[in-house]
Amino acid sequence: MDIERYVDAQCELLGLKLTAEQKPGVLRYMQLVVGMAPRVAEFAATLTPADESGNTFVPVAARGGDA
Amino acid sequence: MSAVDNAKAALARISASDVRINAFTAVLAERALARAAAVDATDATLPLRGVPFAVKNLFDLQGLPTLAGSKIEHEAQPATRDATLVRRLEAAGAVCVGALNMDEYAYGFTTENSHHGATRNPHDITRVSGGSSGGSAAAVAAGQVPLTLGSDTNGSIRVPASLCGVFGLKPTFGRLPRSGSYPFCASLDHLGPFARSVAELAAAYDVMQGPDADDPAQVPRPVEATLPTLAQGTQGLRIGVLGGWFKNMALPPARAAVDKAAGALGALMEVNWPEVDRARTAAFLITNAEGAALHLADLQKRADDFDPMTRDRFLAGALLPAAWVVQAQRVRHWFARQVAASFADVDVLLAPATPCVAPPIGTEWLDINGQRLPARASMGLLTQPVSCIGLPVVTVPLWGLDPAAPHLPIGVQVIAAPWREDLCLRVARALEAAGVAAAPLAAEA
Repeated sequence: MDIERYVDAQCELLGLKLTAEQKPGVLRYMQLVVGMAPRVAEFAATLTPADESGNTFVPVAARGGDA
Repeated sequence: MSAVDNAKAALARISASDVRINAFTAVLAERALARAAAVDATDATLPLRGVPFAVKNLFDLQGLPTLAGSKIEHEAQPATRDATLVRRLEAAGAVCVGALNMDEYAYGFTTENSHHGATRNPHDITRVSGGSSGGSAAAVAAGQVPLTLGSDTNGSIRVPASLCGVFGLKPTFGRLPRSGSYPFCASLDHLGPFARSVAELAAAYDVMQGPDADDPAQVPRPVEATLPTLAQGTQGLRIGVLGGWFKNMALPPARAAVDKAAGALGALMEVNWPEVDRARTAAFLITNAEGAALHLADLQKRADDFDPMTRDRFLAGALLPAAWVVQAQRVRHWFARQVAASFADVDVLLAPATPCVAPPIGTEWLDINGQRLPARASMGLLTQPVSCIGLPVVTVPLWGLDPAAPHLPIGVQVIAAPWREDLCLRVARALEAAGVAAAPLAAEA
């Protein structure tokens, strides 16, 4: 996997301009994440459609309620 | 003492000690003395009458920009009113005296803030205070104030409570309203108090409960007072110890702290949660992506104004594939279901709060049982899997368990099923009453 090519493409898409100082740290961190993410992705592949997201939306009223 | 006398005493302690500790980013003497005078002028029964407190600088305080540990937010408009929890503490008679240092945007476990300086551990100023609520823990440990507020997304109350030797409560996700606080990762953010005794922790927690429509993540529940339950002790409670990940990722002093607490409580049962490392990874991915998305506009326009300690992680987080983050949320939900089932057999679980005692400021790497790991991120290894599923936790401090640093504390997490903060606090109080856990003032405070 060419992490640098992925980072460059994503940055272009998102309007992020990495400086020479920033890029090595971003690449290091992406490498770390790429190494960890399969622990989640592989396991998620074993879940069923009934295994819902931990992120649920709650309907809300206009701001201004008080405590 | 009157509230004014209390406030003056706290302000004097801060003035004398904060050059050394660097816990405060703003001291609000005028506001505190005015508020204290108003408290003294009322005959109302106030449970926290005259108690000085301070808050992590991600809580809104009227008239101040809410810094959230950043340089960027110095340019923000001043808050127009106090955060909900600040208002609730002051309605109970407490007096806010200032704002406290933290890792930038709460993305760290050490409070080595490049903009505002490191907050130093009051028990050894060459060591980190923990983070991201490092100022909140250090201010209590140093005796500057008896009560503070912090936030905890992946461990940011429990880690500094462990390293600074104070009690900290991370309530159930959705229990306390977060309105008027600067978010880090809305899926995982919690707020809670620090104190030097369990009774003070419970008293503060009790007055902060109750619904607030401005936080959509808050679950509407009645106030469930915990202070009156503390004396019930551990009678009838089934207490266990978390094994697996929670032992493997802890160094001997952290394991010794759990053993000591378990011995005092007669906790013999070991409980093993499944797939803890995947849950921790899920929390890592959710935090990285959500935190980055929150700051995307500033990352596009002014990335170099971020703290170098957080900047590259935020930039990388903006680039994560969406599928990973959505899958992480599903794994989180699956893990929560498995853990919920484990509470059929046990009421309270013990686990180390940090892998080790406070490392020296600037430490880059830790060796944890043969694994060389980045020190700063690793301080949350044992807290992330618990906050990932929103369980309530009280961190209790134990002492003298690291032969190489006998002057330093280390914390034990006292964990219960959702909404059972009362059980965490009862067990914490039992450990305190038995003399196993304590939060003494730092020697030079």
